[in-house]
Amino acid sequence: MYTLTENQTKQWLAARGFLTPKGNPAATPDEAAELASALGGGAVVKALVPTGRRGKAGAIRMAAAPDEAAAAAASMIGSTVHGFTVEQVYVEAQVGIADELYLGFSLDSFPPRVLASRHGGVDIEETHRTDPAAVVVAEIEPRHGLSIADAEALWRRAGINESSLDALATLTHDLYDAFKEAEAVTLEINPLAVTRDGGLSLVGAMMAIDENGLARHPDWAENADGSLIAAWRQFNERELRVAAANREIKGGAVRYTELDGDIGLLVGGGGAGLLQHDLMLAAGGRPANHTDTNPGAGIQEKFKTVINAILDNPNTNCLLVGFNHQQLTRCDQKVEPLVEVLDARGIDCREFPIVIRLVGPGEEEARALIADRPGVHYMPTEASLDDAVREIVAINKKLTAETA
Amino acid sequence: MSILIDENTRVLVQGLTGAQGRRDARFCLDYGTRVVCGVTPGKAGESVHGVPVYDCVADAVAAHEIDAAVVYVPPLAARDAVLESLEAGLKLVVALAEFVPRHDTALIAATARAAGAAVVGCNTNGIISPGKSKLGAIGGDNPDEVFKPGRIGVCSRSGGMSAELALALKAGGFGVSTCVSMGGDVIPGTRMIEYIAMFMADNDTDAVVIFGEPGTRTEHEVADMLRRGECAKPVVALLAGEFQENYPDGVSFGHVAAMINAEGDTVSAKRKMLAEAGALIARSLGDIPVLLREAIADPR
Repeated sequence: MYTLTENQTKQWLAARGFLTPKGNPAATPDEAAELASALGGGAVVKALVPTGRRGKAGAIRMAAAPDEAAAAAASMIGSTVHGFTVEQVYVEAQVGIADELYLGFSLDSFPPRVLASRHGGVDIEETHRTDPAAVVVAEIEPRHGLSIADAEALWRRAGINESSLDALATLTHDLYDAFKEAEAVTLEINPLAVTRDGGLSLVGAMMAIDENGLARHPDWAENADGSLIAAWRQFNERELRVAAANREIKGGAVRYTELDGDIGLLVGGGGAGLLQHDLMLAAGGRPANHTDTNPGAGIQEKFKTVINAILDNPNTNCLLVGFNHQQLTRCDQKVEPLVEVLDARGIDCREFPIVIRLVGPGEEEARALIADRPGVHYMPTEASLDDAVREIVAINKKLTAETA
Repeated sequence: MSILIDENTRVLVQGLTGAQGRRDARFCLDYGTRVVCGVTPGKAGESVHGVPVYDCVADAVAAHEIDAAVVYVPPLAARDAVLESLEAGLKLVVALAEFVPRHDTALIAATARAAGAAVVGCNTNGIISPGKSKLGAIGGDNPDEVFKPGRIGVCSRSGGMSAELALALKAGGFGVSTCVSMGGDVIPGTRMIEYIAMFMADNDTDAVVIFGEPGTRTEHEVADMLRRGECAKPVVALLAGEFQENYPDGVSFGHVAAMINAEGDTVSAKRKMLAEAGALIARSLGDIPVLLREAIADPR
């Protein structure tokens, strides 16, 4: 999932004719003050980070005058909000709000859904918890989209009175189309403000894009690296290196996330990697990282980046190379980059043991490439993923006992 | 018997002239799959491995009796290719592409349901009824090494793990009736419960093994199915990805997900739900044949 920042979301929506408050990003307090002046003095200052719950984290502040906007910007820039360092703030016009509604779209699962409530604002989840009926939900049939009539019925269920229905139904219909065109998995307008002059303004807007859909949005894809996150923190330098290689080298895919254990994992595909990680924890081992890999033209180069990252991680004692039966890709093509990196770095596998469970096409060649190195444990053909995990955990236990 | 495919299934290959289509079609033909024709726009009149190629599915369907399509088309073109085969009336489509945008997979799923068709994938390595037929890359050039014919149905979210499940069955003295890699996407064309229902109705399947992962409602649906008493045969479940629960979720982005999903979609939540509904829970590959032996009176 690629989470857009608020200004990216609003730019996208404004370009499609939706009414959003006027705003711009600022990187310094002075810039924030200038932008506030241009807006007439008063402004809303928001930390420009791709995360929710900013209001409750003190990352959204009202400023009555340019100097207040500068002070708000000064307090936010450089601070951390939910694990994200604030590099810029978003300075936005204050909107005269008569009423706050909520509107959300989700493609979290099938089918797409639309959620609406007449009680928008920061407490929408609390509202939903205490009074579930206050948030109404409708499923959307992807073959037909969300009709204006369906949108009208939704807002009627939400308790909106007749005078606003037409405008809201049209807006909701149009927003679903924008949601789909953006390849979004989440689009949330909160609050959807009814302004004092009776208009509808998208005061709070956040959107998360399906990574697979980014291929249709090259402008977003270009910046997608910066927001690649391990969900709870920003990527470290080694993780960023792998992410950059993943983007720059064509074909195949690798993902690499560091954890706090000491056994390196070069595992895949998706399911077999998950299983080996679970089995390792159950056997009393602790992974230093998780990896996920997909075969493709550039995979050998990408593998090298991952292997280097694993070796650069100071906490890693040893390595498990564990893959499901290869069926169509070749075992030796996975071992080649490993051997190259080991040789380039002069690694002695007696000090950095490696357990390999790689079976299928090219297995014989793979064994010939690496199996006779001291410290490399290439599991027999009939060994399962279970067996390989037990082996590396036992080796690591011995290793840590020796150093202790 | 078996489900979805057997030795009589006649197959159309979309993207037959591409490198992957050409290679996999060769392996499928060698295995005995009846590949009757291919489709690549602009390549009508060509042939690959002696199999004729047409410009579009409609032309192919007019010239041949076809039961199933397997689609080797890049991710951004996969939606239209799958819809083309569904519109031509095919009731089984196997879509291999990974990285198909989620809105495209939603449209594929909706169209498949409306047509009463099965779409295996997207993001699958295929299906195999050992000894009879295979569609897609599954098993590679040597399926016999992994997939032994037998009476256990396999349905896996992960293509790679379908091979590991089959190997675990083989090591434990069991074989496979049909193995479906249903695809790892958030929105699969056909749901796991639909494949399980097919296995329940198949006279040559004694039990079903499923492999699940974190996220999605797949296993919740299976638990519901078990609770409704629709599974007369044992269901063995291996789920992976529990480790993810040890790490922080981070702050959720937006409120929608929290308001839609009442129950958790973590592996431990799914495992508990499945166990309470009567599934047999495997903790490792080695557990699978042990559980099957206990559950099936007369293993073959």
